[in-house]
Amino acid sequence: MAFDLIIIGSGPAGYVAAIRAGQVGLKTAIIEKSKIGGMCLNWGCIPTKALLESAKKLEAVKGAAAFGIDGIDKDKLTFNWPTALKRSDRIVKRLTKGVEFLLKKNGVEIIAGDAEITSQTSVTVDNRLLETKYIMIASGSRPEPPGYTLPKGMTIGIGYLLQLEQLPEKPSVLGSGPHAVELAQFFKMAGKDVKMLVPGSEEDFLPGMDPYLVDFVKKTFKKSKIDILFFSTLEGGSGGGLSVDGTEVACDGLINALGRKAVIPSSRIEFELEDGFLKVDDFLRTNYENIYAVGDVNGRSYLAHAASAQGLHAVNVIGGFKEPFDDTRVPLNMYTSPEIASVGFSEPEVEELGYSYKVTEFPLTANGKALIEGHTEGLVRIISEKKYGEVLGVQIVAEHATDMIAEAALVLRLEGTVFDVANTIHAHPTVSEIFMEAGFAAFDQPIHK
Amino acid sequence: MRYIFKFPDIGEGIAEGKILTWYVKKGQAIKAGDPLVKMETDKVVTDIPSPREGVIAAVFGSEGEVINVGDPLVEIEIEGVEGEAAQEVAAEAAETRKHLTEEPIDEKGFGVVGTLEVAGDSAYLPAGEEGRPAPAAPAEAPLKKSLATPVARAMAKDMGIDIDRVPGTGPGARVLKKDIASYYENIQKGKGKPKGEAAPPVSPVEYQPLSQIRKTIAKNMTRSKHNAAHMTVFEEVEVSALVRLRTDYKEKFAKEGLKFSYMPFIIKAAAEGLKSHPVLNSELDLENDRMIYKKNYNINIAVDTAEGLVVPVVRDADRLSIREITIKIAEIAEKARERKLTLEDMKDGTFTVTNYGAIAGTYGVPVINYPQAAILGIGRILKEPVVKNDEIVVGHVLPLSLSVDHRIVDGGDAARFLLRVKELLSDPVSLLLV
Repeated sequence: MAFDLIIIGSGPAGYVAAIRAGQVGLKTAIIEKSKIGGMCLNWGCIPTKALLESAKKLEAVKGAAAFGIDGIDKDKLTFNWPTALKRSDRIVKRLTKGVEFLLKKNGVEIIAGDAEITSQTSVTVDNRLLETKYIMIASGSRPEPPGYTLPKGMTIGIGYLLQLEQLPEKPSVLGSGPHAVELAQFFKMAGKDVKMLVPGSEEDFLPGMDPYLVDFVKKTFKKSKIDILFFSTLEGGSGGGLSVDGTEVACDGLINALGRKAVIPSSRIEFELEDGFLKVDDFLRTNYENIYAVGDVNGRSYLAHAASAQGLHAVNVIGGFKEPFDDTRVPLNMYTSPEIASVGFSEPEVEELGYSYKVTEFPLTANGKALIEGHTEGLVRIISEKKYGEVLGVQIVAEHATDMIAEAALVLRLEGTVFDVANTIHAHPTVSEIFMEAGFAAFDQPIHK
Repeated sequence: MRYIFKFPDIGEGIAEGKILTWYVKKGQAIKAGDPLVKMETDKVVTDIPSPREGVIAAVFGSEGEVINVGDPLVEIEIEGVEGEAAQEVAAEAAETRKHLTEEPIDEKGFGVVGTLEVAGDSAYLPAGEEGRPAPAAPAEAPLKKSLATPVARAMAKDMGIDIDRVPGTGPGARVLKKDIASYYENIQKGKGKPKGEAAPPVSPVEYQPLSQIRKTIAKNMTRSKHNAAHMTVFEEVEVSALVRLRTDYKEKFAKEGLKFSYMPFIIKAAAEGLKSHPVLNSELDLENDRMIYKKNYNINIAVDTAEGLVVPVVRDADRLSIREITIKIAEIAEKARERKLTLEDMKDGTFTVTNYGAIAGTYGVPVINYPQAAILGIGRILKEPVVKNDEIVVGHVLPLSLSVDHRIVDGGDAARFLLRVKELLSDPVSLLLV
């Protein structure tokens, strides 16, 4: 029985593509060797954010007295890791069940097992040969091993973290990206004595992110007393902890949030690679015209929503769509406290592209809703081009920045201008009003300043 | 108030027209009757006058663009007219239009030689709105508006690009920034290459858009050949007397600035021939199972212009003197070459004369100016040996080629008509006496 499309991997790239393919009438199969939903649903975005939310709740309850809540004994407040984990599990189960249901509803055959690509038009799963017109590789990535000589049992992968019965008391988070920052903050909020270990120097911290936001994160860490250690050598310390550039650092668990590497399914045909990832063209095709690679495995992004967008795009290309995939407008979220989100170009990027631009910002300090919620730390920055006022990039720091960024993403997608932002009526009281104000600031005077 | 003036139905079922020249631009004050734009329709080139006094608020369409009847041409800001008065103006505009559309439509037979019929025929062109009640003209008919992103709009405005002309590549054909950029680039490319650049390879073919006149000629020729059963009769006329007459009076006419040619005689002879052979001045009306015999003798003459052949008409040729026809021909020929012919100059023809001999050629097989019944082709007058009184002498021979629609004109009719024309031309004085 021949398929139109076989998708390898059921993460946010694969399962979204599969549902779409089913919707448009392609006879589709999806092969998963582990759990439906992939990294994102099972070990990544969803459980980590669920646990982060538990930690944030703890913070919120600690500060609840100021809101008029009596009866809170701060000394008795502790973080119950097993309960938080159970809650996270429930969320994950519910979501993965939902995905499974949607796949079936759209006629996608779910096949459990290890896939091997046996030819340009065939895949085997446990000796079952499947023939197909198109193949989509969405097998994702896994954390790169740290590559340092460390005491046995010291290193904890993110997936393994979720299986721990209790959290380390003095964790260190190894990495330089958004996930590492989130994890470090998580441990801090959960009451742990956490350190962040960043290989290299200051410039290697949060690569690709606007310097303004990087500075903001550094300041936040300083305020909440999270040390960031930039290092060149890392090894086991004499006291059972770590030795970072020769200095002893107490540590009972090193969370590996370093770079990731592609998980490439076994194959009897050869694929072209680039830095260990499957090389794709602008239409997300590998060196075989009918074989696509979407999501982490092609190395273009590690973000779940980018992976889903790629999956959808690839299905559209199969259906005859002729536009290249555009990943300049992928929002980047950090579930820190406050949250940080950005979309579009950063300031160094617009400078390099030669735009004549301006940056306008508006703080949360005078925003009614922010005051009400007690989260006045934050701001909106709009990078706009001067001639037509086109919005090129938006950065938001706010308690709900990760939700607010959608408005900015839409403005960018529609090639909107600061005039559109300013003249869009924003409801009051909302935190999003600051977006409108920053729009006004770009060509006129903001109202509440 | 603002008033949108639309490309009016200038009569005769014209459905579309090409904007040749704008006389006005945005911000310009105009009076009623001032020319707004020069339009080329498939029949004529004509100026469209402003219906109102005011200030031009917007000009729609660019030169070279083909627009339909009813498409907006200009928006006029009429000062001091508001409220009810504004409605009156709108109503008045609707009324004017109604008058235009209610005029009886009689567009049989003018056109381009051998073809020629009327461009507005509904079988070939969109029928327009004639015959239907005029819609109450909305004072502000919205233009077709492109879906476009805000930046694309700002760029288009800045670059002077009409965004409604830019093909959009975004979802729902939305015009994006890059669409404006590539449109602009194409315009720039079209404006000539910088010096010093290598000449592009010469293409073996060249593409040129059809002019309205050429489009009409093509349609009409096909229609004539498709419908009429063409049959052609040839004849020679010894016209020494006519040649002598012309030589004698040429100078005299020249003094008055008139070119004295053979054409007036031929037209006059044809008109006389038609009078005695009405079937050649008729039309077959199959739809109603009848013949239409025409009682006026309006002779189309083919005029060669740079854009193609046009066929203005000499009205009531039977009632005009040779001298009057001469003046009339000079007038319409000049108008034709300057592209100033109006519909009035072209409509209602009943028979056509084409004088290819003025350039070269003895005999031809002219294509009937459908739905007329016949067309007379005039060849080049040549000095030839002729037999007169059993002697071979030098004579002047005029070759005639008569094409008829054999469905209605029998061979005998055709020959008898030719004979009559021949008699009149070989004895030109008789033409002055009829």
